[in-house]
Formats: sequence, C-alpha cells, structure tokens
Amino acid sequence: MTDRMNIMQLATGVPGLDSILGGGLPEFSFNLITGPPGSGKTTLAHQLMFALTTRERRALFFTVLGEPPLKMLRYQQQFSFFDAARINDTIRFVNLAEEAASGDYERVLARILKEVEAFTPGLVFVDSFRSVLAEAGPRTDGISSQQFIQQLGVQLSSWQATTFLIGEEPTQDNAHPVYTVADGLLYLCQSLYRNSMVRKIQVLKLRGQATSPGIHTFRITGDGIEIFPAAVVPGDSGAAQAPRTAPVRTARLAMGVPGLDEMLGGGLPSGYSLLVAGPSGSGKTILATAFLAEGVRLGEPGVIVAFEQTPSQSWTRTIDNLVRSGKLGLINTRLLDLSIDEIVQHLIESIQRMGASRVVIDSLSGFELAVAPTFREDFRESLFRMISVLSGLGVTVLMTSELEDRYTDLRFSSYGSAFLTDAIIVQRYVELESRLKRVMAVVKVRGSAHSDQLRQYEITGEGIVIGDPVTGCAGLLSGRPRRTRSGLP
Amino acid sequence: MSTLGEGRNDQRREAIRQTLVLGAGAGPEAGAVAAAVLGVWHRIGECLVPMIGARGVEALFGRALQLTASAFPWLAAAGEDKTSLAGVAARLASRDPQAAAEASVALLATFTELLATLIGASLTDRLLDPVWTVSTPPAGQETRP
Repeated sequence: MTDRMNIMQLATGVPGLDSILGGGLPEFSFNLITGPPGSGKTTLAHQLMFALTTRERRALFFTVLGEPPLKMLRYQQQFSFFDAARINDTIRFVNLAEEAASGDYERVLARILKEVEAFTPGLVFVDSFRSVLAEAGPRTDGISSQQFIQQLGVQLSSWQATTFLIGEEPTQDNAHPVYTVADGLLYLCQSLYRNSMVRKIQVLKLRGQATSPGIHTFRITGDGIEIFPAAVVPGDSGAAQAPRTAPVRTARLAMGVPGLDEMLGGGLPSGYSLLVAGPSGSGKTILATAFLAEGVRLGEPGVIVAFEQTPSQSWTRTIDNLVRSGKLGLINTRLLDLSIDEIVQHLIESIQRMGASRVVIDSLSGFELAVAPTFREDFRESLFRMISVLSGLGVTVLMTSELEDRYTDLRFSSYGSAFLTDAIIVQRYVELESRLKRVMAVVKVRGSAHSDQLRQYEITGEGIVIGDPVTGCAGLLSGRPRRTRSGLP
Repeated sequence: MSTLGEGRNDQRREAIRQTLVLGAGAGPEAGAVAAAVLGVWHRIGECLVPMIGARGVEALFGRALQLTASAFPWLAAAGEDKTSLAGVAARLASRDPQAAAEASVALLATFTELLATLIGASLTDRLLDPVWTVSTPPAGQETRP
C-alpha cells in the first residue's frame, strides 16, 4: 500500500542480541561498540563479523593502535566462531597503525576508503576509533575528529557497508560527535560487586527500531558472547510476548501426593504458580519431586531448576532417573554469578525443548544465593518478572521456599513472593504430645475452593503420606498448642 | 610437539626450500640465494604488513633472526645493521652457496614457525600461502626499493 522503504535487518548470530536490538541490525547502519577495556567489545565485533560475513557480504577489519593485531588474532582464535579459512578470503584485516601514527585524520580516512573501494566489503570494523582519535589529537589543520567521524559515517553508508566502530568511550559526556553520528550505540561493561563479576550490555541507541530497553547480562564462553535479554513482563509491550501457548484452562494438575489434590480443591489449576514454604527438612523438595514424577507419569514433561544439592537421597535418584530417561529437564548450576535473566533464558529454552508443562524451582533461597550479589537487591522484582514470563508460557510452576520456623508470625516467604504466586502450601513443625510432627495446609488457591485443614503428614520411603486433620488442638501454628474442649478425653 | 605439527613444519620447510631454489636457480651463487631470500621476504611483507603492520613484522623478523643465529652465528652480526634485511642478505652473499642456502631455509622456517606459535598453524599457512606458490622472478631482478 505504501512505498515506505523497509530497512533490512541483519541477523547478528549472537545469541540474544537480535532480541535486544528489536529484531536485528539495520543494514548499512553506522554503529558504535563502546565500553571499558576487557568488556568484550573486540570479541563481540569478531563474533558479529564471522556470523554476518558471507560470499556476498564480505568484511574488512581495520586495526589501529591498541591491541596489536597479532595478539588479537591469537586470542580471538580461541573462540569457536573464529574460522581461519575465511581470513583473506571473505574477511580481511588491515592495519592502520602507520596512518594513525601520522596524526592525520585525512590520511586515515583516505586509507580506509581506499581499502573499502578495493575490497567492496558489506561490513567494516574499525578497532579502535578511540585510538584513531587519541593518536591524532586536537588539531587545527586538516579535518577535526568530528569531521572525521562524520565523513567516515557518510562515506561508508554510501558504500553500502554496515559499519562498526569499536572503542572505549571517547568522553564521559554523551555529547561527543561520535554519539550523534552513530545510528546504533552498544555499551558493554563489567560490574564488580562484592566478589562477583557480571557482564552487562545496553543498547543506548538504535535508529528506527524499538530496542529492548534496560541492562541485559551476558556471558563470554568458548563460543563467544551469549546475551540474556532481561525478561519482559507480558502485557507491558504488545509485541514482546507470544500469546499463551496453553490457554487458561480449568484443567487441574495432579500433585502426585495422595490426598493433596483434594486439599487443593481438585489439584493445582494449570498455569498456576505454587509456593511451597516450609522449614528445613519439612519435605518441600520431596513434594516438588512428586509433582514432577507425577507429571512424567501422565505424559507432562517438566523442568527443574535445582539450586539445592543433597546427594544420595531418594528424591535425587528419582530426579536423576527422570533426567536420564529424557523426560525431565534439569538446570543445575553452582555458579555464583548468575543473573536471573540468564536462568530465565535457560529455563525458557529448556521448557520449549522439552515441551514442558511443569516447572520446579528448588529453591528460591538457593536461587537468591546463586544470583550475583549485585542482583540481590532487585531479587523480588526479578522474581516477579520471571513468574510473569513463565505464566506467559502457560506452564505450571512450583517454587519452594525455605522458611525460618517462627511461631510468632505466619510468614510464607522472605521475599514477599507469596503475593506473587497463585497458590500457597505451607509446611510447619508442631509439637504434639511431646513429638515433633509435620503439618501442612493449603493457604491459598486463587479463584478456587480449597481445604482449610491442617493435616499431619509423614515422610516415608514412598514419599509424603498425608494423614488426618489435626483435631482437638488449637494454636498449633503458634508453637503452643492447647487442647480444645472437643479434643479432651 | 605433536607429529602432526612436525609434519606441518617439514612441509613448510620443503615449500621454503623449493621457493628458494625456484628463485635462485639450481646450483646458485650465494648472491643469488641472498637475492631469492630478499624476494621471498618482500612477498612475506606484502602478505603480512597490511594485516599486522610493519612494526609487527619487523619484530617477528628480529626474533626469528635471533633464534636462527644459535645455529648460524655468522648470520647475526653485531653492529647497527644487526637486524636489517640488507645486512642479512649481505652476510648470506658472503658465504658459500651451501651454507647460505641452509641458513636461508632455517631463517624463513623459523619465522613461519614463530608466527604459527602466535596465531596458529592454519592461519599462518593461510596468510603465507601466496608466498610459496607464486613463482619467483629470476634472481638478480628482485631488488628492494
């Protein structure tokens, strides 16, 4: 209908990057990759280059001062994306040290244009423009740094080259001409907080498309950079979330613990999030395992994110067997510098791969320990986003939460996560007739009738066995039960 | 070192030897050997300087010369033109042809092996491939500008 020109978006091949760029990188755009030393700029540039380069779209990589080209080639080869066979074929490196050292922008520009003209690349990288500017310094004759960047941008766009300038921030203030000229601006950094280091990336600017705002975390592995886009809460942006894969149904999921389904009013409604809160040793993980095993039995695959490791227990074996049989996805991490988005990313991948409908996070307490300290302040907020994303996927989530055994108040979680979940089961220890007994109750099931009984239960080799309601006593949860009249002999 | 790496080094050495023979002719004078080395070096420069810069190539050459001099001490003379290419060529030309040829192969092989330890064998072979396959102009015509 309209003649509006459509800008082609290039798929960057960097996991997560296209998503935060809002679909991909605009063709013929003039981009800046900035950040302090060691933040991953050169690695990102190389990964982009190897992913984007084709026979038709060749790449020219200009090295200036800074990292010696030999070193760069040496270290970048350690990444799996580096393909030596393409060097001097579709990818060429050109060293500009001599021109840059002359301090003459026009010479640098002329050399760049000469090489571009000769090789006709579709991709041009300059690493680093900072050293071009620093080397040339403030000059009164010839063109200024501003004109240099401006002309470079204009010329390379005219040559139909998608361009990347790599460098440390030219100045602290964003008014530097290079920021104005650039179509895209990626900022990488690594933040150190307490004893953990977390890498972050931000799209500060990208003309013409809706990027994913905020700070995203990434990790550098042998395969290069993997970005974990910050989870987007469904509903706050029309396009961000796919429609719920599983429609809201009245279907209920069996918990795998005899008697518990009745307490929940007929099972856990599908798509709900359930918080199982209780003190250490109360059987939260066993309940979660039963939930997953029951799912597998009924042909509903699951995924467990396990932060708690207590080997050689029966539930561990159950989980292991299910994972080995391919019916259960396991995300098991001992890293202590995770971002929540990284976990969510892995979780979503795993859910989609397994076709999972049941998810267990065991436990929120372990999760909080595993995320890098810098994220702990926002843990509750991130948890909210994670639950929203998962519910957007239509999966049913069971989260366990370690609870201090306090008898003065009735609390379900230390993060205020209770209000985030649709259903809550609480487990407590109580003293009954000089014995330490376990009791469990359903505190809430949103939009559903449920039992209000406090039920005794035991943990046997078979799992959780729910017993009778506790009758004849009151004040159990206060830790000081008293016999009621009806309970008297 | 693995046998694979050794095999690769042997192959490279053989390519260097053949290139020099092609450049200097069979049964050459030492001067022709020196000229052939200059010719090969010129092409190495053409391949590497645009990529890693003249300084980078010079530094590698200096190191290669130092390493080769342990077997051919006469190759690295003291003094100002210790690492200059012209000085090396002159010293090659002043030897008997056999010694000049051996030292030349050793120097170029050391240089390529040094590069390979830094950027890997496959990338090294890839970058220097044009040096060994292009036929050398007849000895005597090759001069450094």
